[in-house]
Amino acid sequence: MPTVEMTYLEAIRQGLRRLLQERNEVLLYGEDVGAFGGAFKVTLGLQEEFGKDRVFNTPISESAMIGAAIGMATQGLRPVVELQFVDFGMTAVHQLLNNAGPTHYRTGLSVPLTIRAPCGGGFGGGPFHSEELESLFCLMPGLKVVYPAFPSDARGLIYSAVMDPNPVIYLENKYLYRHVKEVMSDRFDPIPLGLARICRPGRDAVVLTYGAMVHEALRAAERLSAEKHYEIMVVDMRTLKPYDAETVIAAVTATNRVLIVHEGWRTCGFGAELAALVAERAFHLLDAPIRRVAAPDVPVPFAPSLEKAYRPDADKIGEALVELIEY
Amino acid sequence: MSERKIESVDDGRWKAVLRCMMLSRAIEERLVRLYHQGRIFGGVYTGIGQEAIGAATSLAAGPSDLFAPCIRNMTVHLGRGETSLNVFRQYLGRASGPTRGRDGNVHYGCTANGVYAMISHLGAMLSVVTGAVMARRRQGRDAVGVAYIGDGATSTGDFHEAVNFAAVFDVPVIFLIENNKFAYSTPNAEQFRCKQLVDRAQGYGIEGLCADGNDAVELFLLAQDLMSDIRQKPRPILLECDTMRMRGHGEHDDFSYVPRELLEKYAARDPIAQARSRLAEAGLVAKAAADDIELQVRSEVDQAYQQALEEPVPDPADLMEGVYADR
Ligand SMILES: Cc1ncc(C[n+]2csc(CCOP(=O)(O)OP(=O)(O)O)c2C)c(N)n1
Repeated sequence: MPTVEMTYLEAIRQGLRRLLQERNEVLLYGEDVGAFGGAFKVTLGLQEEFGKDRVFNTPISESAMIGAAIGMATQGLRPVVELQFVDFGMTAVHQLLNNAGPTHYRTGLSVPLTIRAPCGGGFGGGPFHSEELESLFCLMPGLKVVYPAFPSDARGLIYSAVMDPNPVIYLENKYLYRHVKEVMSDRFDPIPLGLARICRPGRDAVVLTYGAMVHEALRAAERLSAEKHYEIMVVDMRTLKPYDAETVIAAVTATNRVLIVHEGWRTCGFGAELAALVAERAFHLLDAPIRRVAAPDVPVPFAPSLEKAYRPDADKIGEALVELIEY
Repeated sequence: MSERKIESVDDGRWKAVLRCMMLSRAIEERLVRLYHQGRIFGGVYTGIGQEAIGAATSLAAGPSDLFAPCIRNMTVHLGRGETSLNVFRQYLGRASGPTRGRDGNVHYGCTANGVYAMISHLGAMLSVVTGAVMARRRQGRDAVGVAYIGDGATSTGDFHEAVNFAAVFDVPVIFLIENNKFAYSTPNAEQFRCKQLVDRAQGYGIEGLCADGNDAVELFLLAQDLMSDIRQKPRPILLECDTMRMRGHGEHDDFSYVPRELLEKYAARDPIAQARSRLAEAGLVAKAAADDIELQVRSEVDQAYQQALEEPVPDPADLMEGVYADR
């Protein structure tokens, strides 16, 4: 099969393109996503290829964008809404928490919509363009939450997210857009939601993570392998709701030491859920207390020196792993 | 005002309008009584005195049209074909009801009738019905929408977002403001500064009209004209209907803050009494025929309530069922 090298961003675009080609009921809209191609250019070329009827700009109205998507989805379309930044989705939380999420439970209507939301920092975006809000979405009944870390996962998961009969929050990491490349086949199979992936085997400890931190964890693992011969397993959660508890428990069973890493805030972050899961189901398997590496509970700072102190990275992960293994 | 005369509509339709209002009144009066007897779980919010608006607009519409009723719109549900039995099932939280006990009172709809189930968050449904109409028209159906909103809820950001959104995309939706003078305890004077809410239409670049919300006959004729007009030349319309909330916000509220003169003024313009005499004068629905309808709806309500009462409540074992859709 022919292969291509693709960035994370290009892989998302390939997934969207295939959906637009194959499924007439798919449409894509958001702020500046038309001819301009979106703030990050994920949708570049799609309006030209599929027309203004399928790919179009909207006013800056997050609540109306999501509300309209609920209306469209309940009438047989599969709208894909791009939020310019996940941060701005907070002006429309009620449309997700109170409208899209509970609709099927309340009324029996399926709501097959997808919200694409660029997340994360590491590039001086400051407090309003760097947030990681996955744990908020995970709190909302009826939503699914997906967060790919690799190009191949990004295209396979966007396909499944859009085809899912439920509202799906598809989180995209801005740092990964252009930093991560993968050589992969030019064709792809959808990747089912709800499955984690062990992206590095290991026996001494496991890192449970997702998004940009998968790559930081892999970097830390390589370093520890070279420097200390520690073999670290890295599990990429990929879907955060509903999440893959079985893979987590199997990983803990194989390693007995658990580090949970995420880019966003620590208190009530998604890591707290994973820690609780491990404590509830695998406490007896642990050789050391569960550890977390996450952002401190402060707004995302702007200055590079502050953001470096704020954001988890391979160094911080490596230190925590050594302490965990040498506990 | 419509140019057409009352005679341009056949007596069957007028009877339906009258019946819809009378049935609504009978159901809501029963609900009020049940509430004060402590036999209703949760709140009761009625549209008593505002029946004309929903009856006229829902019965003037066509089969593929879509509706987003709000708190005062029992007549929209009934006008679109909801049964009194289902209404009582909903209020009594029965497993057989439209939300199967997962939601209560005014929060129900019916897909087959083109009626969306409102969420509490005022203004949130305006964009939903807008998106739904966009979807239907994309599928080649000539749907128009009607979204109902109170005077108070016009102050939400969602109102602004949805009306502007519909304006930008030329979506044929009537945004119908039911100005019943109060939003809970807050009078118009503390809610907005424009002379009339319809003045806002200009700012959105859309047409705005005012109508007497207590005159079912004129409103029906107007709604027919407006709907056929926007069906052919798609665009949103702002329609402000003058009416009055004749009871408290809900039955828990003694509405002592409402000036009695205002209530008396509108009591003299009761929509059902007005429609009865207007239709009798025009020789379309004789007094005896209207009396008959009145008797029928009262006995229908007795039966519906009794039957709903006997039906089972939801099984706690079904608590988790239906959070996600599988298709
Ligand atoms: C966004 C939001 N804020 C507050 C409320 C609480 N609330 C419910 S009804 C109501 C008053 C609504 O007034 P209006 O829109 O004029 O409609 P009316 O009740 O008069 O028909 C309020 C404040 C709500 N449901 N949603």
